[in-house]
Amino acid sequence: MIGIGPGGPTGDDASRVPTMARDRRVTGDGRRTPAPGDDDGRGARAAGAAAGGGHGLTDEERSAWAALSTVTGLGPIGLGRLLAVYGTAAAVLEAALAGDHVADVAAGVRSQPAGRAGRRRLGDASSPVHARALGDAIIEAARDGERLATAIAEHGVTAIPLVDDAYPARLRAIDLPPPVLFVLGDQQALSTCHAIAVVGTRRPTDAGRRTAARLAAQLVRQGASVVSGLAVGIDGVAHAAAAAERGRTVAVLGSGHGHLYPRMHRRLVDEIVATGGAVVSELPPATRPTRGTFPRRNRLISGLSDATVVVEAGEGSGALITAGWALEQGRDCFAVPGPLDAPASRGCLALLREYAGEVRVVAGLAELMEDLGLGSSGTDRAPEPLAGGPGPDQLGVLEATLAAALVERAQTVDELVEWSRMPVAAVLGAITLLEARGLAVGVFGRYQATPRLLAGSAATNLREGRPTG
Amino acid sequence: MLASFLSATLLGLSGRVVRVEVDVAPGLPGFTIVGLPDTALQEARERVRGAIRNTGFAYPPRRITVNLAPADLRKTGASLDLAIAAGVIVGSEQVTIGGGWALIGELSLGGEVRWSPGLLSLVVALRDRGVGRVVVPEDGRLEASLVSGIETAGARSLSDAISILANRRLRRRRLPAIDGHEVAGAGAGPAGPQGAGEESRAATPRGEARARPPGPETAVMTDEEAPDLADVRGQGEARRALEIALAGGHGLLLAGPPGSGKTMLARTVPALLPPLADRAALAVTMVQSVAGSEQVAELVRRPPFRAPHHTASYAAMVGGGPRLAPGEATRASEGVLFLDELPEFARDVLEALREPMEEGRIVIARAGRAETFPARFQLIAAMNLCPCGGAGAEPGTCRCPDGVPDRYLARISGPLRDRIDCWCLMPRIAPAELLAAPEPEPSAVVAERVARARRIQHERNDGRQLNTRLRGRSLRRACRLGRQAEQRAIWLAELEGMSARGTERLLRVARTIADLAGSDAVGEAELDEAARYRSPLSRRRLALAG
Repeated sequence: MIGIGPGGPTGDDASRVPTMARDRRVTGDGRRTPAPGDDDGRGARAAGAAAGGGHGLTDEERSAWAALSTVTGLGPIGLGRLLAVYGTAAAVLEAALAGDHVADVAAGVRSQPAGRAGRRRLGDASSPVHARALGDAIIEAARDGERLATAIAEHGVTAIPLVDDAYPARLRAIDLPPPVLFVLGDQQALSTCHAIAVVGTRRPTDAGRRTAARLAAQLVRQGASVVSGLAVGIDGVAHAAAAAERGRTVAVLGSGHGHLYPRMHRRLVDEIVATGGAVVSELPPATRPTRGTFPRRNRLISGLSDATVVVEAGEGSGALITAGWALEQGRDCFAVPGPLDAPASRGCLALLREYAGEVRVVAGLAELMEDLGLGSSGTDRAPEPLAGGPGPDQLGVLEATLAAALVERAQTVDELVEWSRMPVAAVLGAITLLEARGLAVGVFGRYQATPRLLAGSAATNLREGRPTG
Repeated sequence: MLASFLSATLLGLSGRVVRVEVDVAPGLPGFTIVGLPDTALQEARERVRGAIRNTGFAYPPRRITVNLAPADLRKTGASLDLAIAAGVIVGSEQVTIGGGWALIGELSLGGEVRWSPGLLSLVVALRDRGVGRVVVPEDGRLEASLVSGIETAGARSLSDAISILANRRLRRRRLPAIDGHEVAGAGAGPAGPQGAGEESRAATPRGEARARPPGPETAVMTDEEAPDLADVRGQGEARRALEIALAGGHGLLLAGPPGSGKTMLARTVPALLPPLADRAALAVTMVQSVAGSEQVAELVRRPPFRAPHHTASYAAMVGGGPRLAPGEATRASEGVLFLDELPEFARDVLEALREPMEEGRIVIARAGRAETFPARFQLIAAMNLCPCGGAGAEPGTCRCPDGVPDRYLARISGPLRDRIDCWCLMPRIAPAELLAAPEPEPSAVVAERVARARRIQHERNDGRQLNTRLRGRSLRRACRLGRQAEQRAIWLAELEGMSARGTERLLRVARTIADLAGSDAVGEAELDEAARYRSPLSRRRLALAG
């Protein structure tokens, strides 16, 4: 079973998904059967809804939710119990500061607020140690509320509690959704009509990058948003290609907004926000990334999406965890097949084999669009022109030739010189122009197509091939 | 009796004329040297005493006082030994001499005359003082004879020197005649090499024309050990960057994983540079004479190539020490200073290179005096892309945490980065690709292009400078940008968020590219290519996600 305990899913449990998913309790229609010990049902979601909807949520209540979300050891279930007893998050904090034994409530030991007479002093011998620690943590969170609010404001982030109307419905529908979602950028991006996760390995092949970019670009052209994990590799390419097509894309962080990881994607984050996308995290801004936080955020990637597409995944890739969560959450899951001997395809092929009938194969971009219900013919939007911005309007012949070569695979200058049969000087100049337009980028002396070029090349007639003569 | 001779002592790179006065007077036997001598000079007493006794002269049991004038100049080294000994012998009236000789040389106890460092500078100083004849160590005769306008005589021993002074015939074989290597430009004055930069304007085109390699120099230019460019396979971008950097004298940084061939490429440099013109050759020869461990036999035409280890100390790099010895920056003057593993050099050592890269010289100030050393070197640096060296090699080789490679590059301070015109990232190339790569151009072909481009620059640029020294108005004038090219330059500069300095760098490199192609004006194509060699730190801003 997927490890969801009172403390919420943990990284260790989550990383077991691909093998453990064999005994997933998923019924034929994709709904999850209740498990023993889950008698609190939908935890915070149910309780929060009972506490009266998200209309007119006050700032104080928002902050209180955010504060409670920072408490380690307090998961969705405990939070649900607290809300069921106290009504609002603000009331929980107030009670904790007033000395009420909130930890007992969270642990399910008590189901009533203690009256004045019934209040016991914290540290009472009857409280178990972990409950005492939890109680202390809640009090601390209540006291630190202001600092958290400052940090949230400082990073330009909005905290969206589960009970807020802006909380994405798709995510609310999963088991144990995060109580609070911290969002940078446009909240609308989380609730687009279609949202598709595009995930994959951090060490993609040239073909994998190309597929991810074209797929992401095609998705946003059809009006869907692209969800991914902001990692290097496939994730980054998917985000960047979507942003290059001016489409909405949602990045789910494995850390707080104050510790963006990887750092080299800081610029990409700006691009995502600038094009109407969002960067979200279930962790408060000050949280540092750790080994466990990344597998854990994968359930949000699948949870925020209608379907998950795994482009390339090696053995043990985090993308497989995301795929497992997608199945667990009853969402569609697709995998792009690759060569049998390519390490980067091993995970995808394993998914297709082990979950035949559940994970579907991507047979082509048009076919995938059809499977996703996005309509296969006629794009809703024209692709962005490759030559844009200031400077020369048109790609020169040599530039187009080199661009076509780079779409195939990353190459050194020597290879490009041989390919184009042009002098080194001319090739270097042409690369500069491609780079200036954001179509190529040098990585340690090798040049590769940017997601923008990869995304556009499918629709633009770049394929002039090797020049004759 | 009083005897007096002219000699010279070394101060920094240049010689200073010293008058050695020896008074041999009645009184208690004693030997006093006055006039700010250093320790080596104080010990001259013992050497002089031994040398006189062991060459068959008598050491006078008198009161000997040696005065070194000017009194306020600090004298160093043993180059005055010979003059002091001769003064004692003449002062004690053991020989009678003809006038007009100056003497330079260190003595051994047995009376042999030894070469002393900087002999060339010392002879130049004497010549500039109007001295007509000088006795030099036989070892340094070739070196001294590089200086025109002064007669030199070589002495093996103290008795040889006395014979010369006494105008006796030496019972030795005749010295071989030295042909052709008089230094035409050496008349520039006592400033010597320091003046080379500022006064290079004065050098005549004729002197330049003479710099075309005649026989012996070309022989010197080939080095059996240095790799040829034809041995460096692949790396088309780096080869091109190197060619441009050498043609225009631009600072060059090669970055790449171990095994990408950075060091090998850099080692091809000596064979790619044209031989030095007279003025530069004299400056280099003087430095070698002062700093080298042995005498120079002829004018050094080959540009120096210095590759100090990254543990080099501050003093080793810029020069200094009690004798104000020249450092690597000065030894590389008129040539190339190659710094492998650039970020591993101590920060203050690198920062100290900023001034010479801008000014072409180093001023070392010590209490009471400041010495100016020439440092017109071209910087070529190499580095890995991250501390572990794995970045840019096969995926997964790099074990550095996220962000560390970026910071590694940033370890080179901004001001130093600004002074490096060309940057080049070199990929690691798989052996299979290497073997498949076409046979590249040999060094000789590239050297020819570099020499031609340099000639063009010498003829066009003010002060016969290379493009790397062009700034502001003279740079714009040299570039002759058309309207379209100007638009392109602005566009490229803006894209990179380039500073004014970055824009100038773009123009300078583009100018060199045009010179290599032999075109008068800088066009769009040259600018496009020049932008390729900008710093990867500004390049990064362009990159969207990888």
